[in-house]
Amino acid sequence: MATTAEMPPADLLAMTSVAIDGEADLLRVRSVMRSYALQAGLGLTATTKVVTAASELARNILRHASGGQGVATFEEASSGHNRGVRAVFTDIGPGIADVDAAMRSGFSTVGSLGLGLPGSCRLVDEFSIDSAPGRGTRVAICQWAL
Amino acid sequence: MPDQSAIMRMGRDLLVILHGDLDDRTVESIEREVTSEVARTSARGALIDVSGVDVIDSFVAQVLARLVRMVRLLGAEAAIVGIRPAVAITLVELGASMPEVTTALSAEQGMARLRRMRADDSARIDHGNHR
Amino acid sequence: MTDGPVALVEDLDYYTQMWNTIADYAVIKLDGEGLIRSWHTGAEHLTGYTAAEIIGQPAAVFYPAADAAAGLAGADLRAAAEAGTYATEGWRLRKDGTLYWASVALTAVSGRAGSAGGFGMIIHDLTVVREKALTLRGLGQLVNSIADIQVIRVDCDGLVRSWNPGAQKLTGYLAEEVIGHHVSMFYTEDDARSGVLDREMHAAVRDGSMEAEGWRIRKDGTRFWANVVLSPIRDDHGEVEGYVKVARDLTERREQDRLVQRQRDEILDLSTPVIQVWDKVLVLPLIGTLDSGRAARLTESLLERIAADQAEVVILDISGVPGIDSAVAQHLLETVEAARLMGTDSILSGVRPDTAQSMVHLGIELGGLRSRTSLRDALQLALRLVDERASSGDEAGVRA
Repeated sequence: MATTAEMPPADLLAMTSVAIDGEADLLRVRSVMRSYALQAGLGLTATTKVVTAASELARNILRHASGGQGVATFEEASSGHNRGVRAVFTDIGPGIADVDAAMRSGFSTVGSLGLGLPGSCRLVDEFSIDSAPGRGTRVAICQWAL
Repeated sequence: MPDQSAIMRMGRDLLVILHGDLDDRTVESIEREVTSEVARTSARGALIDVSGVDVIDSFVAQVLARLVRMVRLLGAEAAIVGIRPAVAITLVELGASMPEVTTALSAEQGMARLRRMRADDSARIDHGNHR
Repeated sequence: MTDGPVALVEDLDYYTQMWNTIADYAVIKLDGEGLIRSWHTGAEHLTGYTAAEIIGQPAAVFYPAADAAAGLAGADLRAAAEAGTYATEGWRLRKDGTLYWASVALTAVSGRAGSAGGFGMIIHDLTVVREKALTLRGLGQLVNSIADIQVIRVDCDGLVRSWNPGAQKLTGYLAEEVIGHHVSMFYTEDDARSGVLDREMHAAVRDGSMEAEGWRIRKDGTRFWANVVLSPIRDDHGEVEGYVKVARDLTERREQDRLVQRQRDEILDLSTPVIQVWDKVLVLPLIGTLDSGRAARLTESLLERIAADQAEVVILDISGVPGIDSAVAQHLLETVEAARLMGTDSILSGVRPDTAQSMVHLGIELGGLRSRTSLRDALQLALRLVDERASSGDEAGVRA
């Protein structure tokens, strides 16, 4: 299946999309997130956290969305002197009926560990989720350098 | 073995070195390879060195914990070594800190740990490694 | 008889009476040579001269010295004589030497049979009006020159009525895109819905002005942190006819404040050093409160020290922490778990009786984490643990 366009060369990353169709795309997601984190000047711990969160969320899409298809978009965020990375994970899967329950630790729909959502939430500075049955799921995260 | 991993024999122990960005297939194949190698060589211990791994998410943590359990069932001891500070913090915040898994700072300390665990099997003082 | 000298005298009396009751204006009769021939209360109020002082004086006394010397008084009269009327504005002089801005209307009055002509002079003090006009013009120019701060006028319905370069710079909108629109277009959806605007306007009217900070939205959808001052504009009757809104972008300052705060925190953390007391044993004396930000930083630096020193045991000394509540305990346990992932054992030291009591009351479980009252006891335990790790390294040694 087609994956993504090639990463732009050394100059500034502005916005990148990664289609999430297969396991190879998890690597892509982590790699892109790492690049954006580096560009925004995130420290090692903040970078590790946000890359891990991205991996969790992308994996959720693979596991739970119908056909395992979705999209992750990345862009640099800025606010005053602060810089960061913003990423949105979207899928057209079955959606989550009870978002609150899903956000509580240990909740799992399919047989996996079920740590994707609440775990990712703890790792990042900003987290928002929009999901409903039949409407798919959209998770937006943001991690700042400061 | 895929490029992101290597298995070495060190006496009666196995040292499994993982590095880079691990894809799911690699992680799952490591599980198979290590268990079969432990059985094949009648290894007494296995160390999984992740000092070269930048990101361990909940899936990888799950597989590693599973691997340790499998190795124990095969009569050997296992430990994960070299977890980086940022990865350690992330795993704890993720809630995927593998509580049943023995850990060590480095392969060297891991080896010493394996020997200690074998020697102290019956009279081991609680090191507080269990939550 | 209505015509004839008697009637004229009656009319003059009437007009004189009228003139005497006019207070805002000075209405003065001048003779053909420009000498003052009539006076009244309004004129006295305006200029400060009494009738006795002024009658017979030339109108030039009302002019500032330089203008009088230049013959401006005569020139104005001549202009009135030629055209019949002449209106002018300029500075005039009071008796006490102060100047006022006057509107002056001169009317040539032709002489009747037997009497020479003269002039009627009506002086209106425009100082206040002029100042208002100048102020408005000056303010307008000032507002238009302010490029970094938004200064706009909003009417009572919340519609934008004026724009300035600062507003454009701040929000990205051009004047034509905002004038006539409701000011809620700059607010976040939540704020617009919750009626923040109405509350702000009420507060401004009640207190004379209102200052607030909050998120605003630019034309491109990005947010900025604004400091906003809203002041009511009142008409001459004191009724509110609109608001002036001054807004500044404080996002940078807010970020700078956070940066400064973070730097302060890091300096504070420097006063909480990780101490290597023995080979492979580290002590982290925790002092002060432990919020999540500080706990995260301390954990990071502790773990880095563990890696750098190849530490095997870490002692977390909490004798300097005022109170262990569930949140602090949670942070401690997370730090301990992270250290465990790096193969390090942890010991809690400095646990006082009251700490132990409150922890049990709060239901705080330490799990396998060992704790000791004193640092000395913790050190003894730590050294024993290090010893065990070292001594049972060979096959033969079995530690009891």
